[in-house]
Amino acid sequence: MIIVYANYGNNMRKIRTKAQMKIQQMAFMLMAVTLFFILVGMFALVWRFSGLKSSAVELEERNAMLLVTKLANSPEFSCGNSFGGTKINCIDADKVINLKVNINDYIGFWGKGVSNIKVETVYPINERIDCTLKNYPDCSVIDLFEKGIQGTATWNFVSICRKATDEMGVYDRCDLGKLYVYTNEEQE
Amino acid sequence: MINSKKGFIQISFPWLFAIIAGIFIIFLAIYGVTKLISTEQTVQDVKTSKELGILLNPLETGFEEAKTTSLTFPVDTRIYNDCTLDGEFGRQIVKISQKSFNQWTETDINIGFSNKYFFSKDIIEGKEMFVFSKPFRFPFKVTDLLYILSSNEVYCFMNAPEDIEEELKNIKSENLLAGNCSNIQNVTKVCFTGGTNCDVNVDPISQSVEKRQGTVYYEGDALMYAGIFSEPEIYECQVQRIMKRLKILAELYNNKATLIAASDCNTNLEAELLQLINLADNFQNSLDLFKMTSTVQEIDRKNNDNSLCKLW
Repeated sequence: MIIVYANYGNNMRKIRTKAQMKIQQMAFMLMAVTLFFILVGMFALVWRFSGLKSSAVELEERNAMLLVTKLANSPEFSCGNSFGGTKINCIDADKVINLKVNINDYIGFWGKGVSNIKVETVYPINERIDCTLKNYPDCSVIDLFEKGIQGTATWNFVSICRKATDEMGVYDRCDLGKLYVYTNEEQE
Repeated sequence: MINSKKGFIQISFPWLFAIIAGIFIIFLAIYGVTKLISTEQTVQDVKTSKELGILLNPLETGFEEAKTTSLTFPVDTRIYNDCTLDGEFGRQIVKISQKSFNQWTETDINIGFSNKYFFSKDIIEGKEMFVFSKPFRFPFKVTDLLYILSSNEVYCFMNAPEDIEEELKNIKSENLLAGNCSNIQNVTKVCFTGGTNCDVNVDPISQSVEKRQGTVYYEGDALMYAGIFSEPEIYECQVQRIMKRLKILAELYNNKATLIAASDCNTNLEAELLQLINLADNFQNSLDLFKMTSTVQEIDRKNNDNSLCKLW
């Protein structure tokens, strides 16, 4: 058995320091690469989710557009046969004013993005007065959720009918109006 | 001493460190990408579910008796139909799963609609779906019922009453046949006055739809189709949801009756409407529909007889 005693002295210390430096360099490099990929990933995610929000808004707007064309014929709004024969795109104001009183039951019913629904008489032109059960029918706007203008509006022309009375008795009164559906992305 | 062994590969510590860290980074990247793909698939499924509800908005009927449409998906799709009774109106729950790399995507995200009523099997599968809608009146219009069938499903209505046969002919769908289909294979046979090898038995006298999974009861054609096309569990849940809406609509009509009575427009329907509200409130299952029939008929008669002050 041969035993070799060698004294590396300062050389060994130099080699160790050099290796440690290399490890440090490598570690820094790897950390930088990892951080780079994480940052790129985060940017990709932010970009992707901003697209997601816009597509959610787009879907809600599409919902509002299709909803506004059909809402007037839904049971909560439609005239049915109340005003002499079947009418389409006709809103029964006597029903809608009562719907406004119990509107809390209908929160989220037409979609979470729908922030408000408004029925407004446009002809004959009257002063803009918000309808309540107290002043009805001497008013022109039924603001269902009482939130005013919120978000993007989609509207459609409709007939607004109600039972009215004069000295001759009860008659059907129909005016020209607009049905508004408001969508608000913050509601979602 | 070790270094002198033949075949030894000398790996310095920096190399070892780089390999381990490299493997870790690669695994992290693969994990991230896999997660991203699965998130993307979930997003796509949720988006399709939402779109499904929105695209079915035009099926809301005006004065028509039925409306039809077809839905085509870019890939094979499964629609999971579910229903809950939460809240004022309950909710129509839809979950979509699509085929990706020959595997069905999995998602736990449900999309809910309060104003939609889908009648179908609990899972509808296919690339193309056939949808038709019918209004449900009891006695006023409560909602439109939507029936969803996969394009692979064919229903044959045997010995159906004339009006049903006429309606099916007008719908002009390859999924809905009327007449004698005993020779046609792979169809769901719907028999109206008994028969052999029937998958569904409809009894117009007891107003019931009998299937292997159970029996449900109906009032009117709209609910009869609903009973035929849907699972009994879904049917019962949706009918309960419909009754929730009927109750709120009856309250609305009752308030309208009070309002127009102030303008000398009397409907004399308040008492019956209150009775209907009470019956709808205590509704348990489709058998309770028959408890409501007489009240509904009375309300309908009174409203039709009132030429000046109709409520609907």
